[in-house]
Amino acid sequence: MTVRSLLGLVLLNTFAFGVGAGLLWGLRGWRTWWELARLIGVAYMLGVAGLGVALTLVLVSGIPFSLATILLTGLVLAGVGTVVGRGLGRPRPVLGAGPPRVGLAAAALAALVVVYFEALFRAARLSGLYAFDAWSFWVPKAKAIYFFGGLDEQFFSELPNATYPPLVPALEASAFHFMGSTDVVTLHVQFWFLLAGFVAAVAGLLATRVPPVLLWSFALLALVSPRVVGRTLEPQADFTLDYLFALAALLLALWLLEHEPWQLASATLFLGATMLTKREGQLLAACVVAAALAASWREWRSAWPRLGLASVGAIALALPWRFWYVSHDLTGEFPESGVTGLLDHLDRAWPSLQSVLSSAFDAGLWTVVLPLVIVAIALAFIAGARTLPVYAALVYGLALAGFTWAIWSFTELEVPIEQDEAINPVVRLAASLVVLSAALVPLLLDAAWRGTDGAARLDER
Amino acid sequence: MAHDRAAAKGAPKVDVSSFLEWPQGIARLGVVLCTTVALGCSLVYFVKAVDRLGDTARTNAAQNFDDREFAGGNALVVANRPLYEARALIPEDETFRVVTGPGVANATELTVSFIDHYARYFLMPRRPSPDARWVICYGCDLASLGDGFEALLEDEAGISVGRLAG
Repeated sequence: MTVRSLLGLVLLNTFAFGVGAGLLWGLRGWRTWWELARLIGVAYMLGVAGLGVALTLVLVSGIPFSLATILLTGLVLAGVGTVVGRGLGRPRPVLGAGPPRVGLAAAALAALVVVYFEALFRAARLSGLYAFDAWSFWVPKAKAIYFFGGLDEQFFSELPNATYPPLVPALEASAFHFMGSTDVVTLHVQFWFLLAGFVAAVAGLLATRVPPVLLWSFALLALVSPRVVGRTLEPQADFTLDYLFALAALLLALWLLEHEPWQLASATLFLGATMLTKREGQLLAACVVAAALAASWREWRSAWPRLGLASVGAIALALPWRFWYVSHDLTGEFPESGVTGLLDHLDRAWPSLQSVLSSAFDAGLWTVVLPLVIVAIALAFIAGARTLPVYAALVYGLALAGFTWAIWSFTELEVPIEQDEAINPVVRLAASLVVLSAALVPLLLDAAWRGTDGAARLDER
Repeated sequence: MAHDRAAAKGAPKVDVSSFLEWPQGIARLGVVLCTTVALGCSLVYFVKAVDRLGDTARTNAAQNFDDREFAGGNALVVANRPLYEARALIPEDETFRVVTGPGVANATELTVSFIDHYARYFLMPRRPSPDARWVICYGCDLASLGDGFEALLEDEAGISVGRLAG
């Protein structure tokens, strides 16, 4: 809780942006520096995902985890991006024209988002570590990486949820290195950076595609949901998973509409990071890919091989962690009843679905976000759009079905789940869909307004 | 294209009378209503969110260093001093164990179940080990630890920190 810690976090996140900018240059490039300013959040989140995945691979391969390792890993990632960009002959960026003028309503909404982040920062600045899971295993795993320079056999087998992937602990351990201590109070500010980066990424991706009023209304709606306000700063993986998943899903949606290779490549990295953040990341990634496959069925000859390749790439990023925990005899990844064990517990199906729906549509937690998603999908259909509403309907539908399966098959969970939201596992799952809504609903409503899937694009490649 | 650009700039030219035409007008009316609902909810909840975050910030700022550092642990540790003392006494490369018993005054329902979890988090990089020389006794029967136990801290709540000889 010192100025040194805060400066350390500023350095770490600036470094993550630098790494992401290198990756973005390789994947996409930018013609003007204003364009990079618009995509600052995308670059930052690419940096977070890239560093998270690479540091996980570093940990799994047994390379000592130190400040030098973090810096070297980031420099290698940025270097690879730069070399690829140069190899692809990207032109040197120019300053370019400034950003387009923003209307009064959009400026007012964006100002509210800024005020929100100021309030959130003050809350994060001196927050104690209250979240049970955070002090029970997420932060201890990060401390173990920090103190012992790797996946310490004892702590990573004895701490609860041993098979949970180490992306977030690796990022937290990086934060400890940059802060110079295990300052678990200032660590909350790192999660402020992640939320800010996510919102900036969504804004950067949608700014040229949808009207600003749509963009900022739904970003603000998701941000002020009581559960987001109360839990987003907790130093655990739930909301980080949601940001990575939402960006993967948004980039895949954009790829379905615009077929830009960088969108699919970036989505692949975010999908890999999603799978390395929490075990339900695998379920969410599967839902997104399945929805993209179904939504692109008219162009399956060109789309499906690319989606297949992206899926293989994402799985390849996540597999080494699986090899590590299997080789260390750690278990608990899948339900005890097994996949077919569901049939022995048919009585759990309906209460599981009830639990999922009541958590996802709980206005006390999420206001009206998911009801508006349903309306937005319906309006896009009515207006004549097809790809986007089919994709969105399938992502949400499959995810809700997947959450139901998860609750149904983990027979140690009593159903229907009526626990307080603080410890209710379904509420955590539902958060991913609410966070995703901030990115997808503006696109859906824009499609409904214009009666077509193809988004309006200004200065976008 | 001109319309698209206008839309993307947030200044669509709209013929309101077309809002009842099926399907495009109805869809646009729906978009307007959806956005209005989102805006209304956002504004109401924005005020609540900023209020709540302000309260949280004030509460955090009013806490002392110990309360902030223990945070979630305050619900189960009974007193902060024993764990602080344990952190000061036990060298970083030594192991420790937490032995629990019923004799802790003012224990909460979480104390016995989770004190070893919390001590593991709080005392890192010291490792927990079932046969450790260093012992944090939470209401345990000290006699059960053997004659060689030297208590370096004993508090009135029944918590001791010490080490076994050898």
